[in-house]
Amino acid sequence: MTAGALFVNPLTIPSGWLLWLMLPLLAAVATVYKTIRTDNLRRLPLEILVLMVYMVVGLLALGAGLWLVLEYWP
Amino acid sequence: MARNPDKSKPIPLIALLLAWLVPGAGHAYLGRTRRAVIIFLTVSATFWAGVAMGGVMTVDHQAERWWFIAEMFTGVHGLIGWHRAQRVYDKVPIDRELEMSSSAEADPSLHQQMLIDAAMQAKGVVLVHPTDTVARAYAGVAGLLNLLCIFDATMLALMGIAGEPVAEGVARREPQPREAP
Repeated sequence: MTAGALFVNPLTIPSGWLLWLMLPLLAAVATVYKTIRTDNLRRLPLEILVLMVYMVVGLLALGAGLWLVLEYWP
Repeated sequence: MARNPDKSKPIPLIALLLAWLVPGAGHAYLGRTRRAVIIFLTVSATFWAGVAMGGVMTVDHQAERWWFIAEMFTGVHGLIGWHRAQRVYDKVPIDRELEMSSSAEADPSLHQQMLIDAAMQAKGVVLVHPTDTVARAYAGVAGLLNLLCIFDATMLALMGIAGEPVAEGVARREPQPREAP
């Protein structure tokens, strides 16, 4: 695929990649949120990392909870 | 927390417009240049990563109206994406005879939409699952993140805050009084 076609024709994304593609999106959310919230830009990378870990753990917990409800709900 | 006092008070409307037009420009206007660069790079990369995955029809106001509204918050990026999608719509070769015959049918707009879909499919630009979800989520979330930045820049300007915040506990270097000889 040429560079021009990259922004014209859609890519074929395998279904197994969907959850992994969530990570860059979470990184973007954490970066922008912490960039406008932090008082000290030197601490920014650490704060982004911590928030990203919070979001990943939270989403995993939510996913596990919903899976349990679907599997074992009478 | 103490803030750097600024002589000229920022104008909220300018901060709002700049923050919408170019992601991060609102913060640059308020003297927060490093934050502005980070915001610009993050929002732009997220938006164009979505367009790279979904192609030119990621910013499609006819297919996904709510995602389109979110994408428009990226300012110049969203406008470029919309313009590119419109150019594709304009170039769709619809058979005029079929279009005329469709006017006699019960729902001509539905028939016309089918013609457009067929032409898009022939050009290979139609978004299908799961690429459409991922691409529009990336581009739309980029817009929503910039909405957060627009709100932040406008509120800072309304409060008259400009420049980087000065963290508490950071001692300011005051001029020392001269000792008498």
